[in-house]
Amino acid sequence: MDMKHSSPAAIPDHQPSTTEKVLAFLDERLGLKEMQAKMLNEPIPGGSRWAYVFGSVLLFIFAMQALTGILLMFYYVPTADHAYDSTQYIIHDVDYGWFLLSYHFWGSSAMVVCVVAHMSQVFLWGAYKKPRELLWLVGLALFGIVITFGFTGYLLPWDQRAFWATLVGVEILDKVPLVGDFIARFLKGGATPGQMTLSRFFVLHVMILPAALMALAGLHLFLFRVAAPAGPYKGTTEEIKAKTDYFFPRQIWKDIVGMAFVFIGLCALALWEPVVLLDKATPDPGEYHPEPEWYFLFYFQLLRLKLFAGQFGQFMGAVALPVVFMVVLVALPFFDKDPERNIFKRPIALIIWIAIMVVIALFTVAAVINREFLD
Amino acid sequence: MLQPKLKSKVRCTDLDVGEVTKVILDPLSHEISHIVISMNGSGERQVAIGHVQAVTDDVVQLRVQSRDIAALPPFKREDYVTTHEVEISHLEDNIHVTPGEVLVPLPDLEKSVKRRTFFMNFTHVIGFLIGLPFAWPILRFLMKPMYAEFDNAWLKVGNVSKIKQEDVGVQFKYKKMVKEVYMPEYEVEKNVWILRTTPELLEKVYQGKDLEFRDAKGKTIWTNKKDVPYIAFSGKCPHLGCGFKWRQHKTLGQVFLCPCHLSIYDAGGKVLDGPAPRSLDALPLKVSASGEVEVIDMEFKAGTKSQIRIV
Repeated sequence: MDMKHSSPAAIPDHQPSTTEKVLAFLDERLGLKEMQAKMLNEPIPGGSRWAYVFGSVLLFIFAMQALTGILLMFYYVPTADHAYDSTQYIIHDVDYGWFLLSYHFWGSSAMVVCVVAHMSQVFLWGAYKKPRELLWLVGLALFGIVITFGFTGYLLPWDQRAFWATLVGVEILDKVPLVGDFIARFLKGGATPGQMTLSRFFVLHVMILPAALMALAGLHLFLFRVAAPAGPYKGTTEEIKAKTDYFFPRQIWKDIVGMAFVFIGLCALALWEPVVLLDKATPDPGEYHPEPEWYFLFYFQLLRLKLFAGQFGQFMGAVALPVVFMVVLVALPFFDKDPERNIFKRPIALIIWIAIMVVIALFTVAAVINREFLD
Repeated sequence: MLQPKLKSKVRCTDLDVGEVTKVILDPLSHEISHIVISMNGSGERQVAIGHVQAVTDDVVQLRVQSRDIAALPPFKREDYVTTHEVEISHLEDNIHVTPGEVLVPLPDLEKSVKRRTFFMNFTHVIGFLIGLPFAWPILRFLMKPMYAEFDNAWLKVGNVSKIKQEDVGVQFKYKKMVKEVYMPEYEVEKNVWILRTTPELLEKVYQGKDLEFRDAKGKTIWTNKKDVPYIAFSGKCPHLGCGFKWRQHKTLGQVFLCPCHLSIYDAGGKVLDGPAPRSLDALPLKVSASGEVEVIDMEFKAGTKSQIRIV
């Protein structure tokens, strides 16, 4: 005390405020400052870029899906006799129910779009190569989870689209050799879609998949931090070093702008194209032409091909094709050992990527054109 | 790689200039790029690792003169962050700059433990034994509703007076009561396509033989006689299970068309076009004298060449 009085220099500029005291208390026990520093001060080789926003944007979309999804569960009832009515209640009676449901609906599309963009980018940048193989594998698992999220999610409103998309989707799984019948019955909870199917899809959608996604996304981020960002594929070490900055502030700024764009886009879609349910699910489609969600349309159209006709053709199209595709993606970093990352020096990779995108685009358009001929 | 230690004396070609206070790492190569020397009280200088000639236990020998070091600009601490404040994995892997080993005493009880690996494995075994008895109950718990007995009851679907024309598919909707697990019994709307056939079509479908339906044990449930001029097709498309319709086709005339994957069948159920692996599934059918139609509601697995009944 005496010291303080005798030497004015020893007195701090101001007494620490309560907030500062609380923060100091927490920091002492948790090491918050060090944690925050480590989170923000991650060098990005070659500097921040708009192209790097997709990972953060995906995390943001997931957080919003979790938020809107939890809110929807306050009214939604996962039973065959109430799912449709409770969803209609959310849309027509609950204040802003239409908005939250529509946001959730469009959010799932945004998730698929961003996942495909994110994966394409990693593929084209050659960022899956050594030492990032595990990062790529966990990313593929996350891709599978996102697709399963979409598939389990659109059964829940229990309308015609829900019922038929699920019925066909499960029939496709049934085509897996040996275990297909078991998997299909396991998912349906019986021989035909009904209450048990709804219960099972509901548990998958709101419990198992979110838990799996959070665990794997955490692992994905951890592996990303361990392996460090890949950075640009061209430029000398010196050039890259000269442009390097930290995650904060430039990249975080770009990320938050990306998130804001996605948020505004999804709000706009929810406002202009709010979710409209079809008729309640029945085992008779009536005049409705069953069709999956738009991001599955290309595959739906693909299965119409003569090439995939008959039992064997169907096995090739419904099982072998997607399995081979995923196996190739899994094996990719292990057989593509060439350290060259520049996509313009990897012509095979570039051609394959373009070919896949063209096929998806063409078949999606074909499916849309086909609609007219059905009416 | 040279490993200058903190607090080592720094010796120039002419004399000692101070001691190592910091080591600077290259974030890309993860190697030491500079050392920082405290100049015996007159500030700090940053010296590139290239100037270091040799490193011994407590001395770092430089290949330059002391005045060259003194002439360097003062070290700017604010241009750097510590490895605790930045996220670069494995940054410290290549360096050993600690002035000595940092130790904590081993607790007494730990000193006599010999079989650490044994205890580790033992823990895993116990964990496995806890999980194992759970696996089967979990599987059975989830499998409860998966397999059910077939129901061979006859269901009334309507009257054939609804059919105005021969060899034309007419949809009959009917209700089926379904009892699912604990749920109260509820109605499901189903549909079946029925045709009154010309003798030619009947011959094409039956090919001179009655159509027998058997249960899993091979016992006959019902026989569709080849001379009854009515055929009932299950409303489920044998391709992937969608509901098909009776439609006018540009070139094929009147056909059964599935809007999902565009399988096309003729009035007799035969595949004309599209990906379907087999003909439409005929159902057991009874027509009474007054024209009331009854069917046994059966469903078959879609996508297989042969019929596999699932309901």
